[in-house]
Amino acid sequence: MLTRLHLFALSPFILVCATAVTVMLGIAWRRQHTVTALVSALGLNLALVALWLVWRTGEVPTLLLVFDNVAVFATLLILVSALACVTLSHAYLDGYPGPREEFYLLLLCAAAGAMVLVASRHLATVFFGLELLSMPLYGMLAYTYRDAHSLEAGIKYLILSAAASAFLLFGMALLYSQTGRLDFPGVAAGFAAGAWALAGAGLMLVGLGFKLSLVPFHLWTPDVYQGGPGPAIAFLATASKLAVFVVLMRLVMEIPAFRADWLPGLLAALAIVTMLAGNLLALLQSNLKRLLGYSSIAHFGYLLVALVVADGLALETAGVYLITYLVATLGAFGVVTLLSSPYSGDDASALHHYRGLFWHRPYLAAVLTITLLSLAGIPFTAGFIGKFYILMLGVEAERWWLVAAIIVGSVIGLYYYLRVMVTLYLVEPGMMRRDAPSDWGMHAGGLVVLGLALLVLLLGVYPAPMIDWMAGMTLFAG
Amino acid sequence: MELAFYLSGGVAVLATLGVITGTNPIHALMYLIVSLIAVAMVFFTLGAPFAAALEIIVYAGAIMVLFVFVVMILNLGEGAVAQERLWLQPRTWLGPSLLAAVLLVVLVASLVQGGAGQFISGEPISAQAVGGLLFGPWLLVVELAAMLLLAALVTASHIGRRPEVERWSESKGRRPGAGRGKGNGGGR
Repeated sequence: MLTRLHLFALSPFILVCATAVTVMLGIAWRRQHTVTALVSALGLNLALVALWLVWRTGEVPTLLLVFDNVAVFATLLILVSALACVTLSHAYLDGYPGPREEFYLLLLCAAAGAMVLVASRHLATVFFGLELLSMPLYGMLAYTYRDAHSLEAGIKYLILSAAASAFLLFGMALLYSQTGRLDFPGVAAGFAAGAWALAGAGLMLVGLGFKLSLVPFHLWTPDVYQGGPGPAIAFLATASKLAVFVVLMRLVMEIPAFRADWLPGLLAALAIVTMLAGNLLALLQSNLKRLLGYSSIAHFGYLLVALVVADGLALETAGVYLITYLVATLGAFGVVTLLSSPYSGDDASALHHYRGLFWHRPYLAAVLTITLLSLAGIPFTAGFIGKFYILMLGVEAERWWLVAAIIVGSVIGLYYYLRVMVTLYLVEPGMMRRDAPSDWGMHAGGLVVLGLALLVLLLGVYPAPMIDWMAGMTLFAG
Repeated sequence: MELAFYLSGGVAVLATLGVITGTNPIHALMYLIVSLIAVAMVFFTLGAPFAAALEIIVYAGAIMVLFVFVVMILNLGEGAVAQERLWLQPRTWLGPSLLAAVLLVVLVASLVQGGAGQFISGEPISAQAVGGLLFGPWLLVVELAAMLLLAALVTASHIGRRPEVERWSESKGRRPGAGRGKGNGGGR
């Protein structure tokens, strides 16, 4: 039964949902783009305050959700990326001729879904959270639907995502048929090694692997990244992937079915293939959004190392890596979005749009450089700390194949990140189709991007607070 | 009852095979309806009459009939009559009818044998039990489903918006939201 304590622990989620409903009522009454964006930002900030209060209360397990350290940490990151996406979308949608307010409604719904997903300890909430996360994303990706690329992105994600959900449900059904329970502790207790339970866990891996775009299931990623509107992609690449990864981590660490028999080997193979293929395919790209898509595939390959090892420092490593990935990715997509703002047709994403960017938008070029350096894992940026943790974890667990794949992947990655950076500083004028407004730095979106770049540097130079925080990370036991 | 379960399950598998191998949407949908009814039968034999009734009312009844209607309406045209005649060939209706006949035999046989209320094992799950669960410990999931439907509805209404509405707002300049949003309810 829901008690007052449970309601209190749910308050960040309730606040986000209430904001979505408020935005909907506001749309029905009178359309006001700026007011809608402000209300959304206010709701997310209130949820952040509520989250802080929940965090001070400690762990609150309920039947369906558990509010432990990991859930609070992931919810914080989700709320922060949702806030960044709200500010970016305000700049982006300003030029959109159609209705603009629904985007915030969808964004808030997706954030609520992600928050449920990271706190779930029951297969039913896993499924509903995942659907609540994905369903608004279809709408966000296809939001500028008169642009054929955007519509294509939305429909592609919708159809492939539905197929992935079918895999996930079938896997859950197999696990249920073997254990008779749907909650994680029950499934973990009732697990007996057998072909069916393993097949169930494997099918669930396929379903979640699709959302994380691990390599055999990555085919949707480049097209969706290229076609979708900037703010939607920023949310997809950060909050959505983070939430799915956290729930996968919970499954792997809590349910023995995911660590039995040949499944760790499968995970390791997936990690190696994902790292190598993601980085190699990124080499061929001449479109910044596609390139970032492939780079996010590779980054989740690195993150899988934490799941393969799944003990010792794995949780801390995953936490640190998720923070560094999230901040850098938000910054990079923020710059792409700002350069394509206000909306007028296709986003500026081809590499030649960025040639010589430094010579007339020096600060934006600097932000993009810093975030790309961080994604490449160069020292003095946050990305280095994350990459260092992953390598250390691989070496400590003596997984030499994984370590080799990380090193090869990082070297290849360095090449294509540097290629983009060189483009930014070329002297010859590029074919700039689009440009950020000249006072971009004074707007909320610009401030967010600058703040993210500073955060990347700060976390790279002084990572101690982040590491201390992550060291105390524990999953709720029992 | 076990026999009824296995027969219905077999029918469900065969009908679903018919769905995914069918090349004509209408034929595939016929198989799908049979498959859903067979699944409902499986629920009955397992002692979940409420889920079975919902399966028939919601899936086989509402959603599938809607599918069939939409596909048929889209096909209207010159060749519609010829196509209808084509559909009446035994090859197309024999498969679904046979499977449905098997289901009918299962239903009649189990009615003759021992009447309603029989199932394989365990406690029957009544509508009251399902409702108590949904609005008790699973209340959160119901709310999640509500948010999910809201998001789906907003997405559908945004994508399905009539283009005239947008031209109207473009003609009002860059900030159509400033005035009374007459273009609000353009969703279909």
